[in-house]
Amino acid sequence: MKSKVLSLTLLLFFVVTACDDDFVERTPVYAIDSENYFNAEADYNNALIAAYDLLQASYLNVMLGEIASDNTLAGGETATDAPGIQQIDDMIHTPVNGQLKNIWDWMFAGVQRATFIIEFQDKTEFEGRAQIVAEARFLRAYYNFELTKWFGPIPLKSDARFALGDESSIPRATVSEVYDAIESDLTLAIADLAVDAPAIGRVSRDAALALLGKAHLYQKEYAQAATALLGVIDSGRYQLADDYASIWELTGENGVESVFEVQYTDAEGATFDCFQCSEGNVAVGFNGIRNHTGPLYDNGFSFNVPTEEAFNAFEQGDSRQEVSILDIDAWAAETGATFGIGNEHTGYYNRKYIARKGDANIGDPVLTNPNNYRSIRYADVLLMAAEAFAFMEMSQDGKARDYLNQVRRRAFGDMDHDISASGPALQDFILRERRLEFVGEGHRFFDLVRTGRAAGAIDGFTAGKHEVFPVPFQEIQFSNGNWEQNPMY
Amino acid sequence: MRSKLLLCALLLGCFGLHAQEGVAVSGTVTDATSGESLIGASVIVVTGADGTGGVTGTVTDIDGGYTLNNVPLNATLRFTYTGFAPTEEVVTAAGIIDVAMGMDAQALDEVVVIGYGTQVKRNVTGSVSTVDAETIDELKPQKIEQALQGTVAGVNVTTQSGSPGAGLNIRIRGISTNGQNAPLVIIDGYQGDLSTINPQDVATITVLKDAQAAVYGTIGANGVILITTKTGKKNSPTSFSYNTYYGTQSTSRKLNLLNATEYGLLLNESYAAGGQALPFPDASQLGVGTDWQDEVFETAPIVSHDFTASGGSDRVTYSVGASYLNQDGIVGGDKAGFRRATGRLSLGVDLTDKLKLTTNAIYTYIDRDALQENGLGAVLFNGLNAPPTLPVRRADGEFSLIPNTAGFGNEVINPAAQIANTFNDYDLNKINGIVGLDYNVIEGLVLTGRVGFNTSNSEGRTFNKQINYGGKVFDIQRSSVNQNAINDNNYTFDLFGTYERTFADAHHLTGTVGTTLFRELGNGLFATGFDVPNNDFEFADISLATGTSPEGARDVSSYSYDERRLSYFGRVQYDYLSRYFVTAMLRRDASTKFGPENRSALFPSATAGWIASDESFFGDEGLVDLLKFRVSYGILGNDQIVNNGFIGSLSGEATYVINGLLVNGTAIGTLPNPSLQWEEAKKFNAGFDLALLDYRLNFTVDYFINTRDELLISNIPVSGIVGTAAPGAGSPTVNAGSVRNKGLELAINYQQRFNSDLKLNVSVNMTTLDNEVLAVNNGTGFIEGGAFGVGQDLSPSRMEAGQPIGYFLGYQTAGIFQNESEIEAHASQLEVRPQPGDLRFVDTNGDGVVDESDRVNIGDPIADYTFGGNVRVDFKGFDFSAYAFASVGGDIVRNYERALPNVNRSDYFLGRWTGAGTSTEIPRATTAATSNNVFSDFFVEDASFLRLQNVQLGYTMPFRKTAARPSSLRIYVSGQNLLTFTNYQGFDPGASSGDPIGGGIDSGFYPVARTILFGANLSL
Repeated sequence: MKSKVLSLTLLLFFVVTACDDDFVERTPVYAIDSENYFNAEADYNNALIAAYDLLQASYLNVMLGEIASDNTLAGGETATDAPGIQQIDDMIHTPVNGQLKNIWDWMFAGVQRATFIIEFQDKTEFEGRAQIVAEARFLRAYYNFELTKWFGPIPLKSDARFALGDESSIPRATVSEVYDAIESDLTLAIADLAVDAPAIGRVSRDAALALLGKAHLYQKEYAQAATALLGVIDSGRYQLADDYASIWELTGENGVESVFEVQYTDAEGATFDCFQCSEGNVAVGFNGIRNHTGPLYDNGFSFNVPTEEAFNAFEQGDSRQEVSILDIDAWAAETGATFGIGNEHTGYYNRKYIARKGDANIGDPVLTNPNNYRSIRYADVLLMAAEAFAFMEMSQDGKARDYLNQVRRRAFGDMDHDISASGPALQDFILRERRLEFVGEGHRFFDLVRTGRAAGAIDGFTAGKHEVFPVPFQEIQFSNGNWEQNPMY
Repeated sequence: MRSKLLLCALLLGCFGLHAQEGVAVSGTVTDATSGESLIGASVIVVTGADGTGGVTGTVTDIDGGYTLNNVPLNATLRFTYTGFAPTEEVVTAAGIIDVAMGMDAQALDEVVVIGYGTQVKRNVTGSVSTVDAETIDELKPQKIEQALQGTVAGVNVTTQSGSPGAGLNIRIRGISTNGQNAPLVIIDGYQGDLSTINPQDVATITVLKDAQAAVYGTIGANGVILITTKTGKKNSPTSFSYNTYYGTQSTSRKLNLLNATEYGLLLNESYAAGGQALPFPDASQLGVGTDWQDEVFETAPIVSHDFTASGGSDRVTYSVGASYLNQDGIVGGDKAGFRRATGRLSLGVDLTDKLKLTTNAIYTYIDRDALQENGLGAVLFNGLNAPPTLPVRRADGEFSLIPNTAGFGNEVINPAAQIANTFNDYDLNKINGIVGLDYNVIEGLVLTGRVGFNTSNSEGRTFNKQINYGGKVFDIQRSSVNQNAINDNNYTFDLFGTYERTFADAHHLTGTVGTTLFRELGNGLFATGFDVPNNDFEFADISLATGTSPEGARDVSSYSYDERRLSYFGRVQYDYLSRYFVTAMLRRDASTKFGPENRSALFPSATAGWIASDESFFGDEGLVDLLKFRVSYGILGNDQIVNNGFIGSLSGEATYVINGLLVNGTAIGTLPNPSLQWEEAKKFNAGFDLALLDYRLNFTVDYFINTRDELLISNIPVSGIVGTAAPGAGSPTVNAGSVRNKGLELAINYQQRFNSDLKLNVSVNMTTLDNEVLAVNNGTGFIEGGAFGVGQDLSPSRMEAGQPIGYFLGYQTAGIFQNESEIEAHASQLEVRPQPGDLRFVDTNGDGVVDESDRVNIGDPIADYTFGGNVRVDFKGFDFSAYAFASVGGDIVRNYERALPNVNRSDYFLGRWTGAGTSTEIPRATTAATSNNVFSDFFVEDASFLRLQNVQLGYTMPFRKTAARPSSLRIYVSGQNLLTFTNYQGFDPGASSGDPIGGGIDSGFYPVARTILFGANLSL
């Protein structure tokens, strides 16, 4: 009996110890470890798509860049529809603002995904790698530019992704340091980018040049801005579209005037839980006509409605007026269309970016409109160049007028509306022209701020405070004292 | 049915009843204390230990008499009667055998399962509670979790929804983690799932509440629920039971909403206040309009059948069962229906004198359909917000559409249309069971090896009908069908030895040592087909819906998992003179859930007990029958977190448009945490058991302190700079918190058998709970969660040091601004300047500005006290029982009101502010921007309630024929959730999503049904 017990005990011991900890040493099933990636060209390409993806989330920057300005009102359904947007319109926003938090989170997510590639840029060698890394650098510059426009100083980490804890140790770099980083990324990118974008939607060398010029312009570095922008102009690869109206339709996407466009589609939507997941342009549905029944346009949420003042800013004969701003009453009278009245109804809609009929709108119809965002148009390059030449120390008004009048001739279809002014008057004309050319495109607020004209134009704007938006309340908390809130918030 | 019985007879060797040569025996069975005769006591003839015969028997008649013929000499007669200790007599000759049965020693010989073994209840030194089959029978739960509500001190069960088949949350001694708080469930020894069990298959539920559960190591921190399923008894004839009931369910509550006229007038007032044109210039013609609640609530049937046959010979025990339940929803009828069918077979065989085989297998089929619940887009949410001025259907018979003009929101749709156009189906097929062998090696040493398993396949199907709700977010432009197939499997392999020995008649030792291996693996496959033929559910299958998304979009997805755990454990139980008890346990777990730096862990614990009433100073025949003191301390773990949280994976979403087509890439998903480890629960318990009056009055009192450290915080909010807001990305799981629960549990049971006609049993229990978060180490010192309203940027609920977990953080109100001068005198308030009639928020930090830093604790969803009570009275053939449950001190957030001008309102709005002095509580009506809808204590209500869970009246008719077994027919009527006393305005103060943070936010919980059941129990 004793031996039986002994042998059984041994057996038990054997069985028990046989299944040692190897049992729990298993690799996760069907998963790719993010830190052991970039082993093939395809890996780099795949990661690059991820870095592009967050461009689509910048719809909110575009929408709020208008609403914050004197061009449009928040609108929406009621005065409490999306309070964060309403407050930005009224310049009563505080650090607690869901939309500002979104912009912060989404643009940093873009920075992070672009940096992922840059961090592993040397891991695997293949032909064409430099192009991919250059695109990643452009994208990081693009996201960082958005971030500094909105929030001023932001944390930077050059060639590695932010890690948890960095928010309480890495300080917010000054605006000029941020621009240095942007310029550095763009300069490196320009060296490696192909002149022709590898595919529609990907970035070309000229796009990087244009963004570099814009970054310099925002710093009032006019000579450097002019140099970069001239690079685009002198390439001769772009021209103004003949018909201003054609730019805004589906057929006008990625056209002759397009230097850089954020690509959207109606093929895959999202839900209200995850706007940044949409492959469509969320702003377009938000801007859309409330309860519209009639031809051409789809329904929307009536946000971002132009003011009467913006509508009336156009001169007689300017073809851009009715292309840019839809007079809904006139439209209803003309076509028999009907529409609803939302909050802050002005009678006007942001026609460039309101929902069109005929889209598949798969997923939520409002969140999945295919309208590309024309991020950098050749007209913008021309007007930025005009501004650079008009404002630079040894101003070259002739060049400036030439670029300005190219844009105006298209708008009016004649040369009768050419500007012949010089000096400060020309400068004013150029800035005014920017408003008319780009109304609805999200530039206005930042143009007013960088030229020091916001306080006079925007109701409720407090100089010294509203030039930048507050860092989200939650982020200040996460930083645990590392980051100070922007002044006066 | 007949063939089933035949099959059972063939399979199990129950060879039926056949005559034997023997003697005749008769006699009377009486109550030893009162001398009264016992009616219906069972008398079984146990024919020898050699297993040659079957079993025969009878029951006593109305005078307590019995007669048995053909009883073999030297056979044993076993007398049993509920509440009395079983008695045996050996038949030595023909004649009379009278038996006086004594009271059962209050179940002290009752054996309690404690994990990897059993223990006599008297010797248990941990905090262990049980629920028996009788309680389950009385409560008639549709889901077994319901049998724990109010019946066990320290266990709180809340409903997620009153929808049939909806999940329930079980919390043992409070909420200890912001992660998974559900207890471990062990069915007959293997890891299982409560939610699919047929309650009728359960023999007992045992709850391990303290360090007693430490033998389960890293999975035991939330407490352990041990389920024992029904088995047959040796040497008992086959008993059959058939139970059925039919019932009707209706809503336990309807809210008081405005009728059409009241609604119209309110709208006019608010539009006027906002400076807008009146929507109803002539409101006098509106009448009462549509009562949308009447449109969505219905009276729904419920029907249940179950059948059990069990018995055993001296070597074999068997029990087979089958059940069917069909329950429709009080909202949506069969579109929220729950159907369950189960089959069960339990078989135990003594293969040899030393080798014992136990097996059982349960098959479960569940078919559940569901409507959208609790939140924007829920049927009830729409029912509460739809305007009463709108008819259900238009003149042309079509469902009317809620306008999408300003004021109605984009998501409030016609709830009747929504029910009609919701189509989904969920089916589960599951088999779980166990095969085990006990080998009695030598006297006192038993080796046990067993494998328990669960394998289930479920299929889901949702038909998204092409539908127009009038320009709302729920409009669907293109029909589609989502289908999924999910396969889940796990097995638990146990191998352990138990050695039990008594030394010198005083030292009693039990040692257990063993290993458990657990593995779960499975996968899910999801696909969508577009363009369903005829836009009809009948054709909603991917085989027919051949449309696809545009190129580049993926219509399919999948997941897989393979998680493993390896454990070793040992336990030593020692007692001296069955008076002084000590138990020590140690378990080591290694788990794939944890990072390589922390792969394994040790969990020690100890319990001790002292039966003071056995000491000589108590005397022999005192008032006190039992006084036992208990104390326990141990460390347990919780590993219920995301899989592979320690490895960063490329599971994010990366989709962009290149050359006009969708292109998919790869992106980082949830951020990893390589140092991920288990949560650590330190559990202390001290208590005593006291029995008085011949065990008729029993007290159990426990005090506990549970501290949970290294809390696993999933998706911990982190700075946006690390990219966690990207599509498909997420925050890591981090061990970053500590929560403590303290409380007192008291359970009292009193039972009295006055005479053979009248019995009384009263139980009450009470639990207090004090929950405090001790630390949140994530940089901010808190975690936020939950959602209130629409478009509000601040989270309403928090886990923060010094506060109860999930407390509500919002503005404190101080009435209503009555006039402009009050506004002038008050601190500047939020973004929108208030007007008279708006809520006044308290400037709690006194800095002259009311902003987010003025938010304070305005309540928490954790009840301070919970009570359960039940009464049972048996009088002659009648039985009456009632169960009640009360929860006191919790708060709930009213979040089912859509803050839009044109939606309907609760009638408390009739008392709104309409001018100075008119109201100090309800703000004015206006369409203008106000801050009245930000999260404040205006929306927080007391969730205390008392609910009569179950009342039942039954009558039992014993069959007078000389049956071989006790046979009876009982008919009863039972009411569930008949009454709820509460001040809460919403549907159900007892509902909770179960989320530790944001759990008590009511976005239109589906209320529990008030159910009337008529049923019958037949025992043969």
